[in-house]
Amino acid sequence: MDELLEQARSIYEGEIDFHGQSLAETLSTALLSLSGVLAFIVGFLTQNIWQTLYVGLGGTALTFLVVVPPWPFFNQHPLPWLPARTGRGALAGSITVEGS
Amino acid sequence: MHSSLVRVQNVFGFFTSVAFTVAAVIAVSVLLSPQHPSASLELRNVQVVKGRPHYYSTKREEYAHIKFDLDADLTSLFKWNTKQIFLYITASYPSSSPSTIPSSEAVIWDAIIPSDFARSHANTYLHPTTSKTKPSKKSKQKGKPYPEGASPGIVRLSNQKPKYQITDVSGKIAERTNATLNLHWNIQPWVGALVWTNTKTYGRWEGLKGGVSGFEFPALKGSETVKKEELRTETGGERNRGSPA
Repeated sequence: MDELLEQARSIYEGEIDFHGQSLAETLSTALLSLSGVLAFIVGFLTQNIWQTLYVGLGGTALTFLVVVPPWPFFNQHPLPWLPARTGRGALAGSITVEGS
Repeated sequence: MHSSLVRVQNVFGFFTSVAFTVAAVIAVSVLLSPQHPSASLELRNVQVVKGRPHYYSTKREEYAHIKFDLDADLTSLFKWNTKQIFLYITASYPSSSPSTIPSSEAVIWDAIIPSDFARSHANTYLHPTTSKTKPSKKSKQKGKPYPEGASPGIVRLSNQKPKYQITDVSGKIAERTNATLNLHWNIQPWVGALVWTNTKTYGRWEGLKGGVSGFEFPALKGSETVKKEELRTETGGERNRGSPA
């Protein structure tokens, strides 16, 4: 039961790693800006404002599809967790701080 | 951006900024499209008769009934951001003391001309000429206004009845001089600013050529010398608003 809940939570929350977060940020900015520019150009060239509306909305839908779900390419750099404490006090393994 | 919900919020937030920016650019882009409207507006007939503002009124006022010819090419007003144009004609006449009181203006006729890309709506219309005999194809192509014509903005009206009879606050409108008929428009865009008639040239937008004609209000006519049929007004499609089909 717990396992099932954990799976449901992971799908719902869709967590991605730090590199993935940076990539998602860049992707959403780039895709939305691009769709905005494209929407204007298409509408202006065809002189039809409905084209602008549909291209803009389509680009936004695409951005949602690309950025929102936790696709595998957002999880290419999983951060290794510290090993669990064994017993009291001491940590197994070494901690690296600022590369030292 | 660590969880789906945060990503949804981020994408939607930036989408609103992009949408606003695109809308602003569209609103400004209409300045690039040239505009060269021209019109010829002529008075056909003007009659002044006594009348009442409503059925139970005891007040008797003078009403002017103005018929006109309009031949306008406003196609260049239909840019890609134009939803519809509200076209109207006013009769303007100077006040008793022009130095202190501005001249009066009264709308005698108006119409909504939708763009080709505006979805059809019952209120967007230009008065159909209701004639019993069907006009031949040739005359249809030559002198019919939009919707029947090919392009929005070509308006050809001949001996057009007014939509509104006009009167003055004083109730006296007969024998006023130096009156003019003026064509006006209001461009209603999909996004951006409403633009009214420009008679001067601004950048690529040329001012309206023509669209003005002077006339004088005649003397009052007795109600027995004028036929009622001659004082009919035009009714537009907006009459149907709010009433069942």
